[in-house]
Amino acid sequence: MDRLLYLLATGLARGAVFALFALSLVLIWRAARIVNFAQGAMAVVATYVAFAVTGLTGSYWLGLGSALLAGAAIGFAVERGVMRFAPQGSPFSGVIIAIGLVMVLQSALGILFGQQHRPMAVPFDERPIMIAGVPVFSPYDLFVLVVAVAVMAALALLFTRTSLGLQLRASAFAPEVSRLLGVRVSRMLTIGWMLSAAVASLAALLLVPTELGLNPHSTDMLFVYAFTVAVVGGLDSPPGALIGGLVVGLVISLVTGYLGSTVAPIAVLVLLVVVLLVRPGGIFAAREARTA
Amino acid sequence: MSQHRAPTTRAAAVVAASALLLTVSACSTPGVAADTPGVTDDTVTIGSHQPLTGPAAAGYSSISAATSAYFDYVNDNGGINGRSIEYLVKDDGYNPATTQTVVRELVQEDEVFAILNGLGTPTHTSVLDYLNQNGVPDLFVASGSTSWNQPEEYPMTFALNADYVVEGAALARYAADEHPDAVVCLLGQDDDFGAEFIEGAETVLGADGLAAVERYSVSNQDVTAQIGAMKAAGCEINLLATVNGFTALAVGTAAKLGWFPQWISSSSGGDYPTLVGFLGEDLAPQLLQGFTSTNYLPFGPDDEWSKLFREINDEYNAGAPFDGNTVYGMSVGYLFAEALAKAGESPTRESLLAAISSGELEGNGILPLAFGEDEHAAYTGVGITTVDQGVQDFIGVTYALEGESVEEVEAKPVPLAGDGIPKP
Repeated sequence: MDRLLYLLATGLARGAVFALFALSLVLIWRAARIVNFAQGAMAVVATYVAFAVTGLTGSYWLGLGSALLAGAAIGFAVERGVMRFAPQGSPFSGVIIAIGLVMVLQSALGILFGQQHRPMAVPFDERPIMIAGVPVFSPYDLFVLVVAVAVMAALALLFTRTSLGLQLRASAFAPEVSRLLGVRVSRMLTIGWMLSAAVASLAALLLVPTELGLNPHSTDMLFVYAFTVAVVGGLDSPPGALIGGLVVGLVISLVTGYLGSTVAPIAVLVLLVVVLLVRPGGIFAAREARTA
Repeated sequence: MSQHRAPTTRAAAVVAASALLLTVSACSTPGVAADTPGVTDDTVTIGSHQPLTGPAAAGYSSISAATSAYFDYVNDNGGINGRSIEYLVKDDGYNPATTQTVVRELVQEDEVFAILNGLGTPTHTSVLDYLNQNGVPDLFVASGSTSWNQPEEYPMTFALNADYVVEGAALARYAADEHPDAVVCLLGQDDDFGAEFIEGAETVLGADGLAAVERYSVSNQDVTAQIGAMKAAGCEINLLATVNGFTALAVGTAAKLGWFPQWISSSSGGDYPTLVGFLGEDLAPQLLQGFTSTNYLPFGPDDEWSKLFREINDEYNAGAPFDGNTVYGMSVGYLFAEALAKAGESPTRESLLAAISSGELEGNGILPLAFGEDEHAAYTGVGITTVDQGVQDFIGVTYALEGESVEEVEAKPVPLAGDGIPKP
């Protein structure tokens, strides 16, 4: 029982980060109908910015703020500078361009800063709090969970309760009609990219300190797991990303704990296959694939 | 238009190429067997496959840079038998499919004399048959797998690292000698590295001698579940068959749980300067106090080889961080230079292999090299090291494989001679 509780707590904190990153993939999918394979590389660039700012100022919070700004700026640059010129008509052109972007960004980081892992510190105690003799969440885990939930709540409010959110949704689902009604669709698309990249950067910044440290490849596995989460939850569904993230986090933790770490990635793939067989659109797919 | 011109161009190219070929072969003939690839009157060209980019680059890309720096040093001092060593390093990104491509390029296009220090078990395994079928010397593979020591099946291939079985057995023996009543556990990578290390440890401790055996996968940078299980099992000594990053992750994760057991790590994951890079300058000396590992190469703050390598590193490697990889890379270079020096005035692939198998190579390790007609392993023993106050050094305990079992032996470090440039 102790072991179960321990594994659940471990899985939940990582699951929250997966959920956040998956949410960023969902945001871009909803705005631009593209699975952004460059999301991890873009986020790691922003994390390098945060690392530099924290190193120079000594403040974690300035680093966190700069990661969000840098993420948004990278989202802007990628949409305006690259993706806008992707040939329309084939969904693959955007995907291929994104994969190319991954190589360019990761190589550039390697050339500029080297391949070594750089430790990142956090201003929280990482020692877990003991509950009934079982180590559960550390203060940092709690911080991650709170931030993840807060960001998701803020995005939900943005999309459902503000005029900007309405315009974002409108231009994603019906760009032609929105344009006729006076919505600046191309600006909305850019904002979608900026929001998404900022959220992804936040997720990367939260995860990297708990792993090996910052390196051009720090987000490779995060992207793979988060992509699975997004597909499991339904690429169209923010709540799907949240639930999917937590489920995948728990599955990885429990399988690693009870069956061994070699089986964990397989378990995630099995989950993916089962969901795709039973509900091809993802667990939370609202309706048959919208094409707009 | 271009189609019409093509035949002429092609003919011209063929003529030019044949002319070039004639010139080249004419130049290289005197003094050297004409059919030895990669050897001319004043150069010897060798190649390697290394992860220079991709996820594995973080841990290993500095090795070939150190080897190249050592060869530059040798070349600036007259080379070996008057020949300078050209070291072609190709990036395989630690992807076996790419390894196959780049090694074929090295052998067929660059016509290298030998492949040196190809890095990685999965990567190098993918070219093992190719190199042996084509008679290309495959020297000093950078991995502790036991696969490289199969003289019958792979006569071209020679190992360098003390293999994982030897390391596992030596460290388990040390744990049993030092702490006879302690609960010993093991965390290992879920591939050959972990499996062979576990095999070695169990030959010493018995099949049920390990209280808990946990495995990790490099695709998941979170070992909380494994460390939690080991803590719950009451482990006091943890043997590690981990790469450096995961050693740091294991030690760091345990520390977060307020758990500070004795760590005893394979040399593959026990390089103190590298671990400091992962854990940070402030935490590492505390977390790694008493951290035990192995080494078989010269090492330690006062060692004369280390001092020479440090100087070479500053002058020829732009002062890159000096760590275990630097010593390893330069030792590889030294060992190859020694083999080449002993392969004669006009080295051939046969004379190179004969020089290594002769048992006359000394290397620069703390134990004699094991190479011989029936032995393609370089080091069959290791010295124990520990970290004290942020300094990692040998503690004077050395174990070697004696027949089937691992016994304590006397270390016999090879003294530095001739400015670290081997003489024939």
